[in-house]
Amino acid sequence: MTIAEAAREANRYSARAPAPAVVCAIALAGFAAAGTTFALALNSDHVDEPGLQAALMTWITLPYVLAGLVAWCRRPESRFGPLMVVAGFTMFLSTLAWANAPLPYTIGQAFDLLPAIVFLHVFLAFPTGRLGTTFERALVGLGYFVAFGLEIVGMLLGGYGPDNLLEVVSEPGAAATLLDVQLIAISALCLIGVGVRLARRRRAGRPLRRSIALVVDAFALGLVMIAWLFVTGAFDGPGFETLRRATFFVIGLAPAAFLAGVLSARLARSAVADLLVELRAAPDPGELRDALARALRDPTLQLAFWLPQYASWADADGRPMALPADGDGLATTVIERDGQAIAALVHDAALQDEPQLLDAVSAAAGIALENARLHAELAARLDELRGSRVRVMEAGQQERKRLERNLHDGAQQRLVALSLELTMLKKRLDADPEASSRIEHARSEIALSLQELRDIARGLHPAVVSGHGLAVALESLAARAPVPIRLNVDLQDRLPEQLEVAAYYLVSESIANIGKHAHASSASVDVSRNDGQVVIEVVDDGVGGADTEAGSGLRGLADRVEALDGRLRVWTPSGRGTRVRAEIPCA
Amino acid sequence: MRVAIAEDSVLLRDGVARLLGDAGFDVVAKCGTAAELMLKVNSFPPDVVVLDIRLPPTYNDEGLRAALEIRERHPSVGVLVLSQYVELGLALQLISESADSVGYLLKDRITDTDDFLGAVRRVADGGSALDPQIVSTLLSKKRPDDPLAQLTPREREVLELMATGSSNQGIADELVITLRAVEKYVSTIFTKLGLPSTRSESRRVLAVLMFLRS
Repeated sequence: MTIAEAAREANRYSARAPAPAVVCAIALAGFAAAGTTFALALNSDHVDEPGLQAALMTWITLPYVLAGLVAWCRRPESRFGPLMVVAGFTMFLSTLAWANAPLPYTIGQAFDLLPAIVFLHVFLAFPTGRLGTTFERALVGLGYFVAFGLEIVGMLLGGYGPDNLLEVVSEPGAAATLLDVQLIAISALCLIGVGVRLARRRRAGRPLRRSIALVVDAFALGLVMIAWLFVTGAFDGPGFETLRRATFFVIGLAPAAFLAGVLSARLARSAVADLLVELRAAPDPGELRDALARALRDPTLQLAFWLPQYASWADADGRPMALPADGDGLATTVIERDGQAIAALVHDAALQDEPQLLDAVSAAAGIALENARLHAELAARLDELRGSRVRVMEAGQQERKRLERNLHDGAQQRLVALSLELTMLKKRLDADPEASSRIEHARSEIALSLQELRDIARGLHPAVVSGHGLAVALESLAARAPVPIRLNVDLQDRLPEQLEVAAYYLVSESIANIGKHAHASSASVDVSRNDGQVVIEVVDDGVGGADTEAGSGLRGLADRVEALDGRLRVWTPSGRGTRVRAEIPCA
Repeated sequence: MRVAIAEDSVLLRDGVARLLGDAGFDVVAKCGTAAELMLKVNSFPPDVVVLDIRLPPTYNDEGLRAALEIRERHPSVGVLVLSQYVELGLALQLISESADSVGYLLKDRITDTDDFLGAVRRVADGGSALDPQIVSTLLSKKRPDDPLAQLTPREREVLELMATGSSNQGIADELVITLRAVEKYVSTIFTKLGLPSTRSESRRVLAVLMFLRS
């Protein structure tokens, strides 16, 4: 997500909530509708058990209107709230069919089947208020046509009693057949809708948050019951009236579940208080994620930090990471400070339904997140630095290796050949003692040059290490050491060249130090490899108390070891010898 | 005496070939790589091979591997390894089982032509030639309760020459003493160091080296 997108995201949350007057007016209208429902039922000349019927209808109308208002205020940018309000009033309109007067009766009858499709619409559009796919839009559109369009057609055909103002022809048989078709079609659409929704949940691959799952389940159950009810109605199945009441009861459960979810989100905000307490203890970046995950009740939560100088998102350890695209059940919330993105929460998309919780958690964790961001930035820089140190060291080593090779193949070989040439020349000049002696002098000069070159070449790069490995190279080091050395190299295979060279210099320098400072009577060199690391240990029985900083060369060795991600430790207690131990990772 | 040479520097290869040719050797192969040498040696084994330890393509251990392979597959072929640096570890690899027909010398030793030709002949005849630098490294090695301290300076000299692979006659010539005197020294040294005596000169090289290494 770019900053611009993040800003748009932030704007989305600040979309304007409905004015309090509007909310009050709608709520009042809801109560008025409930009252009207009761009045219509009690005065109706064609309703059995009017009190129970009115109560069932109100059980649906009012919760939908009120839950819709709550949703609208909580997420003004979502169409879900208004959609629920509409669903509530649609239900109310269908109760007009209880009226004794022809006009309200006709209106009520026209709206008779519509609530089923509005519920389907609400169900499929939950929680964003929008239908996600063309298929879903087609499904709902077809539903509206069947439930409302065909209902009007049926009424034109007559058959809904004498109060049906829309009757044009009197074909009650055709109207009844059409009604059966409508009922079966709506049943099918409801079941398809449930199937689509369940498939979507399965595809998301992970459970939605529980409160949301509950709402979806309540809706799904309601729709299945509508389907069952309508099929029963179409085929004059048994127990229609009981089933109808049960269905209405279940449909009214969905907003109740929704309101319960809202309540639980309110409770969740007390988790923010816990979070504040946890953050006071200044947690590590890793613990910060856990604390936030607990507060948001989202165990999948990931944190990303914005590193401006790398223009990249990174994890808590400064490793670059890409924010996942929204979708697949994931969503990203960017947290800003002073208009500058500092971090992003990658969370369950369902959390978008609780923007206040997200805001509260983000606000509470602001400073901790900024600290964690700085930590990530530092880690990224350290990583970069470590990488460049390795590259510098590697480049230096390669260059020295190249120089050593050039010396070996060039000057050294030529000097040996030249000296050989002089020797053979000298044999021909046996008669001339002066020439012989001058040639001999030249040869000894060449021999000295060769010795110097050999020392230089060895100083540049220990070719024996590259050529024959650590075990071979350490043999001469140990033999030439100023004190008896117990050498124990326990390696099955060759090691990476960098590591071998570092280990060689480590042993070489440590043995030199023993000769210069330790006054030791013996020492040991151990090289072993296990558990993914190589351990090099040089121990002497000398006076200890070595200066680990100045002039000991230990600093340079530590650089070499650390460049390989290893660790160099020196124990040098006064009077109790010195132990130099390097641990270098080696897969 | 047939000799094969493997050395990647043309200048040096030709120089050594000329030196050996002048000294009466039959130079049957002059190779630039270990692979070429192996081909020649496998098809027509010479009496002795003189090779550089660093050979193309990687200049790492091609020469050493060729030397070890020849020693294993053609025990009768003497192998004299030359190098710009001598390493105790490599010497121990070369003579790990036997010091017969093997030599390991610093490349500079070529220019002491008489010693060098002597070493080539010794190796071709089944003896050994170990660079004095290696022997001195071993002799200078610090040991707790150094057993070498029991040796007289002259005995030390004899031990050093013995370790390089010199024959008794060679030692006698070098130190300008009689053959009998050399034999006496050798026997005293073996007694003092607690080594089982042996008449084979290459076997005593191995024994002395293993003693010095420990």
